[in-house]
Amino acid sequence: MPENEKIKRLLAAIEVNNDHAAYKELFLMLHPKLKQFVYAILKSGEDAEEVVSDLFIGIWQRRSRLKEIESPLFYFYSTAKNLALNRIKKDRRAKLPPPEEWFIQLNSIVFDPEKLMMTAEMQRKVKEAIDNLPKKCRIVFKLIKEDGLKYKEVAELLHLSVKTIEAQMAIALRRLAHGMQMEISELHLKSYSTKKS
Amino acid sequence: MSQEKFWILFSRKLSGELSSEELIELQELISQHPEWQYAVQNVEDFWGQNHPTNTINAEDAYMLHLHRMGDLNIEFEESFSSQDGVYPINRKNRKWYWAAASSIFITLLAIWYFTSKTTASTKLANVEKNEISTKPGSKSTVQLPDGTTVVLNAGSRLTYDKDFGKEIREVTLTGEGFFDVAKNKEKPFIIHTNAINIKVLGTVFNVKAYPEDKKTETSLIHGSIEVTIRNRPNDKIILSPSEKLVVDNNIITEKNSLPHQAVKKITASNSSTLVAIDKIEYSPLDSTVAEIQWTQNRLVFREETFADLAIRMERWYNVKIEIKGTSLGLAKMNGIFENETILQALQALQETIPFRFEKDGEQVIIYQ
Repeated sequence: MPENEKIKRLLAAIEVNNDHAAYKELFLMLHPKLKQFVYAILKSGEDAEEVVSDLFIGIWQRRSRLKEIESPLFYFYSTAKNLALNRIKKDRRAKLPPPEEWFIQLNSIVFDPEKLMMTAEMQRKVKEAIDNLPKKCRIVFKLIKEDGLKYKEVAELLHLSVKTIEAQMAIALRRLAHGMQMEISELHLKSYSTKKS
Repeated sequence: MSQEKFWILFSRKLSGELSSEELIELQELISQHPEWQYAVQNVEDFWGQNHPTNTINAEDAYMLHLHRMGDLNIEFEESFSSQDGVYPINRKNRKWYWAAASSIFITLLAIWYFTSKTTASTKLANVEKNEISTKPGSKSTVQLPDGTTVVLNAGSRLTYDKDFGKEIREVTLTGEGFFDVAKNKEKPFIIHTNAINIKVLGTVFNVKAYPEDKKTETSLIHGSIEVTIRNRPNDKIILSPSEKLVVDNNIITEKNSLPHQAVKKITASNSSTLVAIDKIEYSPLDSTVAEIQWTQNRLVFREETFADLAIRMERWYNVKIEIKGTSLGLAKMNGIFENETILQALQALQETIPFRFEKDGEQVIIYQ
């Protein structure tokens, strides 16, 4: 995961050199994703902004022990989740909303005509397919495709099983491909037998 | 069931969760359906696209964040490092620099002295190389540090520098390998063989480059690759999916014998051409790809001369095969070996053309 490597490099610069430039770079890199993630739970832009800010204050205050973080990306997301939950708990005894209730905005739906050979009609269909993804599917798809988390990490964040993540991703991809007119019928797959697993 | 399996494997691949065994399973599935290539490629390209990051909002948020830190009285002292990471060295430090530099030099000298003494009897400059090799009769799957998976066929060798992937991704291949190269646009992946160099960004393909074979073959499953021939670095050949580049290994010995000859597109095999682009051979029955069947433990041969097949069987079964009589060696063979022993395989071949053979340990002699 190249993103994890980059985060590790920035964290090391912060830890060793008190590097402000690295701190800023890390903030700019992760802020958009983390804010959206927290917003999905809290549904308040102001609260989400403060949670991300608190998270980065924590990074600065704990900078002498940053190299203990093993998978940094997951560390940021799980800490963000915990901070968001603390905020909910302040109001009442609440727990993490089920993934269906999260508010998810997907932003990676871009069509670069130089790289993708798709007709306008196909693009419309793909967009439609993504817009109509079930809620649970959307959050799983977002955290894996856009945020670059591992199946295991998403499972832990959302309190779901890895098998569920796997199934949700398969659903998302199939719908996407369907929008690209990629029909895979059972008939074609007949010759394939599950030899090994 | 199988359709679900496909989607699960495919999404696992895009998410970087796929094991090398699953990868082969998925490739097998895709190669059975060449009509999917286009859509699979499209979904992969779509996956690879990232939304342009708009940092304006994040910049604003960062300013607010710094204000908040000030309000909360969190000390955030100015660091001495400059923006671009160049650290000024003052005079005092400079002295220390020279001391460090000279001690490093002495250490290096000592390392060189000791290693040159110990490795002189073994191999030269082996310190910086990683090497993976397979014996005849065995295969191996390797995961490189960048996430690229390589399946090595029997009697093959893959070497790469210890600092592979730091600045460049470069490997050297002798023998046959099935590559699934991890995408990285900034660092192209380069494969050197005896006759050709292959440059890719991220794709799936098979390279067959045994020095004892007459030809070096590069078969592209999907994506695109750029091939240059060793002694003609200016001629670039771009392969499209389902194409196979066949290069006569004599090309590197015959210097400039055909300086500007264009690459020929051929349909029938043409042995006089030194460089040719051919189509990948899909099986008419189940549209599997012959070139990568070895990854599934199948030795597939179509319209191959007995002599060429014998060389492959030597590697496959770890035997030595000698064919007496030239006409026998030129006979064209077709077939698939899966679980057959060498004896069963030879007996099966006897069904197609008449010959006799003697087997003594690992030595097989074939005669009319």
